[in-house]
Amino acid sequence: MLSEEKVSSEKSKKFDPARRQVIIALGSAIVALGVGYAIGYLTKPVEKVTTTITKTITQTVTQTVTAAPPSLTTTPAPTLEYPELSDVARRAVLGVKKLIASGVVPKGATLRILHVAGSKDQLEKAIELWSKYVPEINVELVTMGTEPDVYTKAMSEAVTKTGAYDIITIFSTWLGDMVEAGLAKDLTEYFNKYDPGYTGPCAPIEPLGSYVTLYKGRRYALDIDSDVFTLTYRKDLLNDPKYKEEFKAMYGYDLKVPDTWEEVINIAEFFTNLKLTSPRGGKVWGAYFYVEPAFAAYITWTNIFLEAGGIPFDLETMDPKIDSPEGRYAFNILLKLKPYMPPEAISAAWADLYDKYIHGESVLTAAWPSLTKMAISSPDSVVKEVTGTALMPGVKLEIGGNPTIIRASPNPVNWVGIVSNYSKYPEVGYLFLQFMSAPDIGLEVVLSGVILDLFRMCWFTDPKYKAKAVTGYGEDFVDHYLDAIKISYPDFIIRGGPEYASKLTTAVNAVVAGTMDPETALSTVAADWDSITKRYGRDSQLEAWKALAQLFPEPIKSAWKAKGYVK
Amino acid sequence: MPEKPPRSIKILSSLPLNLLLNGILIVPFIIMIYLAFLKWSPLMSINWWEAPFIGVANFQRALSDSRFIEALERTALFVVIVVPLELFLGLLLAYIMQNPFRGKRFIISLLIYPLMLPPVVVATVFYLFFQPYGPVNNIFLQYIIGPRALDIHWFLNPNLAFTTIVIADVWQWTPFMFLIMYSGLSAVPKRLVEAAEVLGASEWTIFWRIRLPLIRPLISIAVILRSLEAFKVFDYVYVMTGGGPGTSTESISLYIYRLAILYSDISYAAAVSLIVLAIIIVASYFAIKILVGRR
Repeated sequence: MLSEEKVSSEKSKKFDPARRQVIIALGSAIVALGVGYAIGYLTKPVEKVTTTITKTITQTVTQTVTAAPPSLTTTPAPTLEYPELSDVARRAVLGVKKLIASGVVPKGATLRILHVAGSKDQLEKAIELWSKYVPEINVELVTMGTEPDVYTKAMSEAVTKTGAYDIITIFSTWLGDMVEAGLAKDLTEYFNKYDPGYTGPCAPIEPLGSYVTLYKGRRYALDIDSDVFTLTYRKDLLNDPKYKEEFKAMYGYDLKVPDTWEEVINIAEFFTNLKLTSPRGGKVWGAYFYVEPAFAAYITWTNIFLEAGGIPFDLETMDPKIDSPEGRYAFNILLKLKPYMPPEAISAAWADLYDKYIHGESVLTAAWPSLTKMAISSPDSVVKEVTGTALMPGVKLEIGGNPTIIRASPNPVNWVGIVSNYSKYPEVGYLFLQFMSAPDIGLEVVLSGVILDLFRMCWFTDPKYKAKAVTGYGEDFVDHYLDAIKISYPDFIIRGGPEYASKLTTAVNAVVAGTMDPETALSTVAADWDSITKRYGRDSQLEAWKALAQLFPEPIKSAWKAKGYVK
Repeated sequence: MPEKPPRSIKILSSLPLNLLLNGILIVPFIIMIYLAFLKWSPLMSINWWEAPFIGVANFQRALSDSRFIEALERTALFVVIVVPLELFLGLLLAYIMQNPFRGKRFIISLLIYPLMLPPVVVATVFYLFFQPYGPVNNIFLQYIIGPRALDIHWFLNPNLAFTTIVIADVWQWTPFMFLIMYSGLSAVPKRLVEAAEVLGASEWTIFWRIRLPLIRPLISIAVILRSLEAFKVFDYVYVMTGGGPGTSTESISLYIYRLAILYSDISYAAAVSLIVLAIIIVASYFAIKILVGRR
């Protein structure tokens, strides 16, 4: 036994060095593999990008030459197929069928859409209709809880370039960021090839149709929504003969839907002082306009500022121009309105405005179209029959020697669809968006939920569509909303747009809350804006701002001229 | 006795885990340090490794960024307020629970319950509590000061808004202190207490001279752990005040979140994070030295 153990121990001693060598060699190989893999992995994204770009270019060239479909001449002519569909939707369906037939996209391929939870119903409707016509291509929804989650995911995708999403629905405000981060694909070629109906009587209403889809003159998005603010008011209170009489005695003019912000202050003061009580026992406030801290405070301030003739940035230098008389005027109006607005306007989330209005606790307010939808359809609403819609109040200016009321409507958010540059099937992604925003399909989608709203002209003018639109929004709203869109202006759709807006929101909220004075707020925001501009490059930002400024509505442009901001 | 495995085997067998852990922890950290010296944002249309090197410009910017400095001071104030409060309440509760009584187990379970809730849920509940017509005004304060209570707007006044965040945090994290103090006090040898009683020491003297010194190491650990956690306060601020009114309740974590996520200002966010990290390391070092080192 002993001798056997000795032999074995000697054997093991004998073999040890060799075994160690083998193990060390193996270990080195594993380490080398690991390091090699790590290096390969780190360099991988660069290679991937190159491949993607090469493929895209190849496909583009091939399609241009063989299928030769440039511009409208190559648009597939309406055929007898799918006669029930609008031309826009039909072109989308036929386009996909052609791509499947030519092998560009395989049958059974799946598109993934990243979107916010609030639009789920409407996107599900779009998918349901799509599946009816294009069952070969599946569509999956990747739902995010809140809007900032979508932005975060989209920016992560822009950095990691995984191709996880083919389509992303975003705030139009983020479009500049998505393009500059390399995520949003330039869709100009597809616009020309498939014609999504952006001209003619059923086009998206201008200037909205242009400013939410164009960036530096190129199309990067398809419109799927509009978010233009209107003045929402209590018809019963403004038309009450007793109040009319008392109001006239107090202010010297008739109680009516306000034309200017100065009139809004008077009406708000009048109704607040009446100390009315809502059916649920809450106080009725004269006004409720957004001044909340999370994101919406900039909306009200910017509206007054622009109507007063203010311009956010200089058109020659990109210097911030908000530290100006117009900026002070906007703060002045908000501070005068403050005593007649519920204190929660300063602290609560944006939805509080909805809650108070539908429960009869504010007289004048302004919000997205969904406020009206909710006011006329929510089972909790106590203002179903008494909700009126009008254009946003304006500011009286001297234009060409004539006193003129300048009115404009904010269009904050406005969801649009972009196609990812890293999508495997970008063309199909585009065609899905064209399908879901077509005149016929789009209206069905809009009417199937809350977040996405009316944006095509014919939905207001063509009786066949208008009748449907009225069922969702009421006649009064549909009549006024078209005019509101015509004077709507875009968010800051330039690179860093959300940051410009956020800095302003924080300052506006601080001023109204009383923790900052208007002078400090204006100079602070101007400095912050300038540093954002510097960070992204003044020339590039100026180019984007100049392109965007051209798309502002005429009343604002004329005010800029009157104030000497534009030659 | 089996032969010890050679060192190379040990190294090799732990290699995959080391690679994984270092890959997950160290590599991103190194990238973050590198980013802090660059001028980069995802919006700049370039990859981060192609971004221009700007030296310490981001750090200089932070030192002149009043919003950053205010957020830092505010967060430090928050820590200084909530940690002693939680310690005091936790210790008090733990002391009370030392005595046997009927239903003690049930009450301890109840006391620990807030710890099990996600902070975002606690924040939402407290946000609703402090609404003008919420239970705090409508029931509690109305009982004390009458109908005037309904005019108190907790989230409009910076000090009141800050107070609501403190209350929410204290409510949720006092149980953490309680648990540690309770286990510490329970472990104090009975013979020492009994000996002191025999010698005629008062309850207060026993607590002050015997129990407290014996659990001092635990108190130090609890204070350090809780301070580190409190410095990262985010959920309550984000949900209850959004940092408002204005930026008057913005914590450092919320500010960094906004820089990185909302403003896509990644390089600057990395620099600010590193400054905060350095401050926490220095503060922790001195805290450990003062609290634990005295042993």
